[in-house]
Amino acid sequence: MTASSILDAYRLETEPKWHQTDDEIAMFSAAYGARLPVMLKGPTGCGKTRFVEHMAWRLKRPLVTVSCHEDMTASDLVGRYLLGPEGTHWQDGPLTLAVRHGAICYLDEIVEARQDTTVIIHALTDDRRILPLEKKGELVRAHPDFQLVISYNPGYQSVLKDLKESTKQRFCALDFDYPAAQVEAEIVASEAAIAQASAETLVRIAQKSRNLRGQGLSEGSSTRMLIHAGRLMAGGLSVSEACKLAMITPMTDDPEIRAALSAAVDACV
Amino acid sequence: MTPKYAQPCLRLSMPVSDTRTRPAPQADTLEARVAAAHARLAGAGYGVSVPRAFRQAAPQVANRLGDEAALALAGAASRIAIRTRPRIAAQFLDLSVPMARRLAAPEPFSRWIALLVGLLKPAPDIVEPLLERMEMLHQRLGIAPLEAWVQTGLRLAGSDLVLRRAFFTFELPEAVRLLERHAGEDTFQSLEGELRATHRALWGQSPPIREALPQSKGSAALRASFGAGVIQLPASYGGYRGRERFVYQAALAHIGAHMAYGGKRFQVGQLKPLQIAVVSLIEDARVETLALREMPGLARLWLPFHAVSSEGMATTPSLFGRLARALIDPDFPIRHGWLRKGVEMFRAGEGQIGNPALSRHIGNILGNDLGQTRVQFNARDYVVQPVYRDDNLGLWDLPPDPHEAQQHHHIDIETHDLRRSEETDQPQDRKTERADPNADMPPERVVAAPAASGIGRIVGHLPEYDYLAGIERADWVTVKEYEPGPGDPLFWRKLEDRHGPLLVRIRALVRAAAMGRQKRLKRQAEGERLDLDAAIEASIQLRARRTPDHRVYEGVTTPDRSIAVHLLLDTSHSTNDSVGPAGPSVIALLREATGVLAHAMTQLGDPLAITAFASDGRDDLRLVRVKQFHDDLGPLTGMALSGLRPGYSTRIGAAIRDAGATLATVPAHRRLVLILTDGEPSDIDIRDPDYLVADAKRAVQSLNSTGIDVFCIALGQGAGQRHAEIFSKRGFVQIDRLEALPEKLPALYLRMTR
Ligand SMILES: Nc1ncnc2c1ncn2[C@@H]1O[C@H](COP(=O)(O)OP(=O)(O)OP(=O)(O)O)[C@@H](O)[C@H]1O
Ligand SMILES: [Mg+2]
Repeated sequence: MTASSILDAYRLETEPKWHQTDDEIAMFSAAYGARLPVMLKGPTGCGKTRFVEHMAWRLKRPLVTVSCHEDMTASDLVGRYLLGPEGTHWQDGPLTLAVRHGAICYLDEIVEARQDTTVIIHALTDDRRILPLEKKGELVRAHPDFQLVISYNPGYQSVLKDLKESTKQRFCALDFDYPAAQVEAEIVASEAAIAQASAETLVRIAQKSRNLRGQGLSEGSSTRMLIHAGRLMAGGLSVSEACKLAMITPMTDDPEIRAALSAAVDACV
Repeated sequence: MTPKYAQPCLRLSMPVSDTRTRPAPQADTLEARVAAAHARLAGAGYGVSVPRAFRQAAPQVANRLGDEAALALAGAASRIAIRTRPRIAAQFLDLSVPMARRLAAPEPFSRWIALLVGLLKPAPDIVEPLLERMEMLHQRLGIAPLEAWVQTGLRLAGSDLVLRRAFFTFELPEAVRLLERHAGEDTFQSLEGELRATHRALWGQSPPIREALPQSKGSAALRASFGAGVIQLPASYGGYRGRERFVYQAALAHIGAHMAYGGKRFQVGQLKPLQIAVVSLIEDARVETLALREMPGLARLWLPFHAVSSEGMATTPSLFGRLARALIDPDFPIRHGWLRKGVEMFRAGEGQIGNPALSRHIGNILGNDLGQTRVQFNARDYVVQPVYRDDNLGLWDLPPDPHEAQQHHHIDIETHDLRRSEETDQPQDRKTERADPNADMPPERVVAAPAASGIGRIVGHLPEYDYLAGIERADWVTVKEYEPGPGDPLFWRKLEDRHGPLLVRIRALVRAAAMGRQKRLKRQAEGERLDLDAAIEASIQLRARRTPDHRVYEGVTTPDRSIAVHLLLDTSHSTNDSVGPAGPSVIALLREATGVLAHAMTQLGDPLAITAFASDGRDDLRLVRVKQFHDDLGPLTGMALSGLRPGYSTRIGAAIRDAGATLATVPAHRRLVLILTDGEPSDIDIRDPDYLVADAKRAVQSLNSTGIDVFCIALGQGAGQRHAEIFSKRGFVQIDRLEALPEKLPALYLRMTR
């Protein structure tokens, strides 16, 4: 197998649509040009994943995405020995794959992973650009096209979970937030295929819920939620029904906050 | 000697008919029995009014509810006459007729009589005020909540007769509030949290929202109000049963519109009261119009309250109501010249709508026009309509009102003179007298007092369980936070000095516990790495063409330890006692033990909060936050811990509820409230020894039901007699040798969290 064919499955064939909100495309391109690792900061559902996909497509690089979770270990990223009919053999993990063959590797929500996981990216993200495979006794040198991108949600602010300073300082960072109302409404209208006016109402409701960020809600409604609500509306639900189903009930069980969110929906429609 | 049960309590099961009033067997027609009862009443020397009232009431009650109900009146009236006055007994008999109609069945009727008769012993003085308001009370409450409300009033007043009278004559605002609560009506208090959140969502701001203070002479505030950045909402909106939530929402949204779109306060200048009222009315419509542009749905909230007819007499209230509606409701028919002029000017000013000067301009002219007509305007009795709108005081730059002086709100700023109190463990002074009536006023009455270490900050209210009534009283205990006394910044270092070896031992213990958490697992179907032995075996099997065991990996268990602990320290007066003849005080020991435990816990990385508690009656649950979950174990915590002083009583249930509430927000698999106490629950306002025990038990149960464990460490010989009752046998340990505490505590903790 040639290097390129291994990663073919990771190439994006159609363009993931991205509405530019600032100069993020230029900034990311510059970081990629210098092969610097990038950290995308921002609340959940504001478009970080979509943006990486878009950039991978634009830069014509395969994209290997890993959603990190609590039980994830270093082996899940790097690879492990497996036992086959011919004895043991090594299998590259997704990160190793991207490093060897020159993909963009996107580690989504890296804080979720265990501490030992974050340490293995240290040698990759300084000027050494190497990935030591301890168990295999191999040092993988990164392909010249390889880039590491991680996402990080500062809103989480869990006492126990935070990136180490030494990890943070290795990355360039782009701040993401929910787009300006007008842009967000356009995104919602086009992604959910609903009228601009309905999308604007949804965005207004979302802004009200974002007022409760840190005051009863850990996050307000995300762009993603709005798109979901919009799709429900396109399917025939009323604004209130769609908001309840996609934006209020999933977000909180606190009766007071629910009442406040319902009042906000009622006020906006 | 005070009798054991000086606290008045009702005996609802008291039989209503007494053997003495039972008729002779031969006289078994109703008439005969009524006549016999009448004769007894007439012969008892209560005067003429009692037997006369009985003669009148009995047949009517019998008619509705049967003979027994009617005859029960005689016995009850006789007791009322003896314990209070014959006049009141007659009043009771007169009232029994309408009450029989209301209660409509014998069972509730006899409950009602039992309620009154049951009061005769503990609280005869309140029978009359109750009778006077009985129809209203029953109208709003029904019989069971009425019983509960009466009991609540008795408990609230305790042995304070003045306070008791004030409650049952409704001079105490709390009586009204509790009435509303028992009636299940939504009030400011029941909606407060949701209103705050709604305001925050709609406007992105969190101004203080308070319950409006009663106006002078106890009459409740009628309208919302704002000014100086504080929103005040009436304690309740009477007459909107079932719709209270909407009135509050509408009122708050209206004030939100003022705050978002209003300008500087208007100068009164030469304006007459009528003009002021009209300018305010236009301004109300102006800000609502702007708000509706952003949030059109608010119309559904506001318009239903504009229930005015477009026709009728052109009085000021009617014209005002119509104008208010016409300005925000384009479909409202306009049938009056003055209205037409107002609406036209308002529409013409569309381009200026963002400018408050528009309201002043239009209001001036309209007010002037109206002043020219003969329509009357009574400024003194004027109340803004409709109900959800505020009193307009926030719109105007008015000269200071002399009455406003008493409207100070509690200010959450305190200064403490840390140098003042001495370094010893002197117990704090105990409040000697029972709280004056003001102690039961809403928290807003508490005006920031001069700085003193004894001043707590009201941070909330907690329910309490009354086992006699079988009800949980909402917001019964007032929670106040106090600053710790002056502490020792070198606490941690001294602890290390004193308990060096112990700390080292505990550290090792903890390290071992931490290591024991991750176990290596051999022969797993999946895992981190190959299990060498298993892999070799499997290879041999393969070469021999046999089916290998596929479990050839090795893994580690995930560390699933996740526990958060809230440590509650009882610092009541008795902890001032020393351990043994020459030993240290209980509180000193408590401090050290807590220090050692906290040390161990932070090593484990378990979230920990430490709160010291004591109480001085139900209106003063005294909490000192030694360490909150997010604080780290630094010098400040050490100072707070060493600054704890013994004093006051032990209201355990309330402290447990508070700790449970703080734990509820901490993400952890196991959550634990760990109480260190040297005695049983007690407090100055409770004489029934079972009351606080039952409440504490209830608090433990309610925490358990939300997945929070409660564990108690009872210190000392005498302690722990009732702890098994509260915490269950498995939920507490007793430590007799107090000296061993610093050593035992961490071991205990590890045992519990395993
Ligand atoms: N600027 C944008 N252009 C196009 N789509 C956008 C934009 N911003 C957000 N979206 C839409 O928002 C939705 C959520 O985005 P995405 O899944 O990338 O969020 P995320 O930030 O990665 O969330 P999480 O942190 O939960 O993974 C997507 O459906 C995406 O289409
Ligand atoms: Mg107003």
